[in-house]
Amino acid sequence: MNPAMSSELADVARLEDIVDRQALGEVCLSFFELFALPIRVFSTDGTLLTDVHDEQAVCRYVNTFSSGRTACSGLVADVRRLDPSEGPIDHPCFTGASYRIVPILYQGRRLGRFVVGPYVPAERREVPRSLLVIDPGVDPETARDALGQMPRVRLETVERITAHLGKVLDLILFSGHRAFLTTEMHVASVRENYRALTEKAARLQDAYDQLRELDRLKSNFLATVSHELRTPLTSIIGYSDMLAAGVVGSLNEEQAAFVETIRGRGDHLLALITGLLDMNKLEQGKVSLARQPMQARDLLEDVARTILPSAIKKGVTVSAVCPDDVPPLLVDPVRIKQVLFNLVENALKFTPKGGSVRLAARRTELDAPDDGGGMGLVLMAPGRPAVELSVQDSGVGIPPHEHAKIFSAFYQVDGSATREHGGTGLGLAIAHRLVEAHGGTLTVESAPGEGATFRVVLPEQDGAA
Amino acid sequence: MQLDFTAREVTVKLVYYGPALSGKTTNLQAIHELVAPASRGRLMTLETKDDRTLFFDLLPLMVQSGGGISIRLKLFTVPGQVIHNATRRLVLQGADGVAFIADSQTGETRANQAAFLNLRENLVENGLDAASMPLVIQFNKRDLPDVRSDDEIDRLATKGKEPVFKAVALRGQGVLETLLGLVDVTWRKLEQEHQFAERFGVQSDALLRDVRSKLGLPGSEEIR
Repeated sequence: MNPAMSSELADVARLEDIVDRQALGEVCLSFFELFALPIRVFSTDGTLLTDVHDEQAVCRYVNTFSSGRTACSGLVADVRRLDPSEGPIDHPCFTGASYRIVPILYQGRRLGRFVVGPYVPAERREVPRSLLVIDPGVDPETARDALGQMPRVRLETVERITAHLGKVLDLILFSGHRAFLTTEMHVASVRENYRALTEKAARLQDAYDQLRELDRLKSNFLATVSHELRTPLTSIIGYSDMLAAGVVGSLNEEQAAFVETIRGRGDHLLALITGLLDMNKLEQGKVSLARQPMQARDLLEDVARTILPSAIKKGVTVSAVCPDDVPPLLVDPVRIKQVLFNLVENALKFTPKGGSVRLAARRTELDAPDDGGGMGLVLMAPGRPAVELSVQDSGVGIPPHEHAKIFSAFYQVDGSATREHGGTGLGLAIAHRLVEAHGGTLTVESAPGEGATFRVVLPEQDGAA
Repeated sequence: MQLDFTAREVTVKLVYYGPALSGKTTNLQAIHELVAPASRGRLMTLETKDDRTLFFDLLPLMVQSGGGISIRLKLFTVPGQVIHNATRRLVLQGADGVAFIADSQTGETRANQAAFLNLRENLVENGLDAASMPLVIQFNKRDLPDVRSDDEIDRLATKGKEPVFKAVALRGQGVLETLLGLVDVTWRKLEQEHQFAERFGVQSDALLRDVRSKLGLPGSEEIR
């Protein structure tokens, strides 16, 4: 807390804390110019804050005598010492002049005083004896002339003038105090807000650190468990294979069906575990891409060929279209085929008999990421040349509010559909991350009942050709 | 509270709290109008251009009591708008008593409750004991339609422990009663803590009567 200002109470203890000395000096000067009355302003402890006066002829004359000088400094000391605790004081000078000492009150507290004078009360006609006897050398005529040059004011006028000055000073104090409090409050509010925000930020950082640690633990757990699961699973699948192949003797029809079920379920489980491991690697940024130039046409046709037997079985037509102007891509063929295969498999899964799945490629542009809030748009807007690989189906479609969610791990639009259609719930999540790892985008356009189109947009790489 | 033994001067901080637009500043304006000019300072408002309180309003009241004790009451309002919470907390620092100005309109019930919870939170944040803070509650804007009924307020007032007042601050009704009620509960708490009667040789009742008449206030009657 400022020692001079009790901030909690918005109290003022010292005049000089809230008053602007220059402004105070200017007001007193203008006052002096108007009324020709000297003014001095003192703080409570007697510090002189403003002093506006002209040396008076009578003072100059008195000071030519050594006894006069002594008397004068004694009187000045008296005036400075006087404490107007009970209200204004009128103090006479031996020259016949007078001083008026007025307390400066603010919010009921005395913060200082101002002294108006010397002036000659208009009621005074004669040179007082106290002036004539100050030194045997005092000449009554010279003294009268000198005193005559001092401003003459009626006492009640002085009272009115000092009351007015008191009001002006009060206004200056009030304005100064108000400005002081505003500034103080402003700074304090900013500090308080900063403190509150810093505390909140620290709490959020703690929570964030905890979450990150949890995420790391989860990833480790997944990696370990997946690995540990995969080892025995490989044996289960291997031995089922050997059983099915009749390595240890032929199986009857029922035994063969059982073994096939074990193998099929084993494969599904292996796919799930491999998917989990993939996800984990992708999330940790551990996937390395073996990029090589690839023709979009080759990619599409390869994927279409792979899915064709299942499509024929389900009664769904599969086509692949690729114009000649589509440039080659610099991608990891295994990973991109994994993406496309996933999308195509998905499309087939949700497309009923008689429907179609269409793979296509075309030249396009990849929008620049708008991270500047529209800044420099003229520079940023032209996108990079890119190739779009799309998978379009005529299946059940996906409601718009689900579009953002389907790329999350384990998310299924319809939980019950998982049972109907199978799947691990990891396919799209992995595909999304794989495309991102290539610097591309994976988006969906769909409405319920109108099929779905998944678009993989991959930037053209310099040197792909 | 600030105590100056040599000057026999006690400064008490009273804070007007409440939801936005419940009439806190209007209370201070009305008090400024009604109190004897010799006993009041200027009403200082630190407000935005649309007349909403930005930091606070401050009205100093000064009473020279018969026992030679000088009592200075510093009346503050807080900004009611939700975003100014830091300022509210700052103004509340070192408060000796709180007048909670509630809006009587039934639609404002929730806002009153939220502001009151905010008051309690900020008292705790400032290290003040919310339960023992001298408090009075004023239901303002009694002249508006669709306000909570007198019966309802009276019934609830008898259940609560703090004095409850009804007011139309715009017309100056009930504001002095609220102020006096607050001075009363605050002084009695301070008396318990600081034994003014013993140290200054002035009894609370006599002193409070003195404060009342010096401020030029009529006798007051609270609801219960």
